[in-house]
Amino acid sequence: MNCVEFEARLHPYVDGELEMADMAAADAHLAECSGCQGRVTQERQFRHLLRRQPREAAPPELRATIQARVRRTARIAAIRPWIIGTTAAVLVVVALLPALRPTSSLVTELVSKHGTYAQIEQPAEFASADPRAVEAWFRERAGLRVTVADYSPSGIRLVGGRLAEAGNQKAAYVLYEKGHTLMSMFTVPASAPDLVLEGARVSYRGHAYVTLERTGYNTVAWSDGKAVFGLVSMLGYDALLECADRLRLERAERAGA
Amino acid sequence: MLEWSRPGDRTREFEDTALVHLDTLYRSALRLTHNRAEAEDLVQETCLRAFRAFHRFNPGTNCRAWLLTILRNEFLNRLKRGGHEVLDRDRGDLERGATSITDAGRTRGHPEEELLQTVLHGDVDRALKALPLAYREVVILADLEGLSYREIAQVVDCPIGTVMSRLSRARAQLREVLGRFAREHGYVKEWE
Repeated sequence: MNCVEFEARLHPYVDGELEMADMAAADAHLAECSGCQGRVTQERQFRHLLRRQPREAAPPELRATIQARVRRTARIAAIRPWIIGTTAAVLVVVALLPALRPTSSLVTELVSKHGTYAQIEQPAEFASADPRAVEAWFRERAGLRVTVADYSPSGIRLVGGRLAEAGNQKAAYVLYEKGHTLMSMFTVPASAPDLVLEGARVSYRGHAYVTLERTGYNTVAWSDGKAVFGLVSMLGYDALLECADRLRLERAERAGA
Repeated sequence: MLEWSRPGDRTREFEDTALVHLDTLYRSALRLTHNRAEAEDLVQETCLRAFRAFHRFNPGTNCRAWLLTILRNEFLNRLKRGGHEVLDRDRGDLERGATSITDAGRTRGHPEEELLQTVLHGDVDRALKALPLAYREVVILADLEGLSYREIAQVVDCPIGTVMSRLSRARAQLREVLGRFAREHGYVKEWE
């Protein structure tokens, strides 16, 4: 082996990745070449410098979050055949809900739907990040006129739309996502006579809302006479109220236009 | 298909086999993204994907390399979604610029001890950032995480020979950048 041949094998040599025969030939060359010996020393020191870098451990919270999410995923996988095994099963569950729990309010119903959708691999029936396309889909599919706001400047990405049923009538469900956190936006036509908005009454930028926390989810609901709106997410109330306010603005602008 | 009768067993097995490599995943993600929040997000997504695909993992084979492969794919997907085509573009540059980089690293003849003594905490990470992705990833895997050539070939999906050549160029380039930092710190005089 000469210097050029050795140089070509320098890195695998230092990394201990040479085949036995090559290794022996390289050692033989090194024994009589101080130049190449110097190269080996140099590379070894450099390797040592790199290996000496601090080996940071994953933050304990990250580990805990992952463990929790993995366990949750495992539980969902266990229940999923029952929840979404067939379309028929879904319809049955939805139809029975009001009968089984006559006292359940609209918001509670929305929360439970959000929870179910959040666990489905692809919750949107119609996936699109384009608000106008999602609006068109609701119009054509179910004759629902829905305003789909664009929250992308705030990092809340539109995932798509889905038809749902709430308060015994057709409802539009728009799904957003911020990182891994989902946000559901329900629009229910306000013609249902017995819709109850339960929760704490709050005022935000001059408008009245009802907030409620259910099974870990925050909800913000309001009505504008034509429809009832419900936001459900693990996002904080600040973010939800801001989203609500922006949707109101957008609807007002369009009504005026 | 779904082991829904015993979800606990599968979870425990995943934790014992895969989550023991969490630190490696986290460090690699951190050095790929240079952003803690992004790294954490990337690792979470990687672990969930791995868990969902865990039935495809062959027990007894290399779980660390398997996880790093998922992490890398997810990272590249995110780059693509963000409109970057970093790896492909880099690759062309790599093969073209290869000789000159190696030669530069070689003929420069830094006084090595001087360089090593002056590299400050954080310099290596900063220098890694200056490397094209295809170089950065092999250094991370080989030198910072201690993977074998074979494992790296699996993770970055290329022949072992390519790992070898990329690694030597990557180290030469990294050394160049570190030398520049050392001169910037003023600890090493210009020797040209």
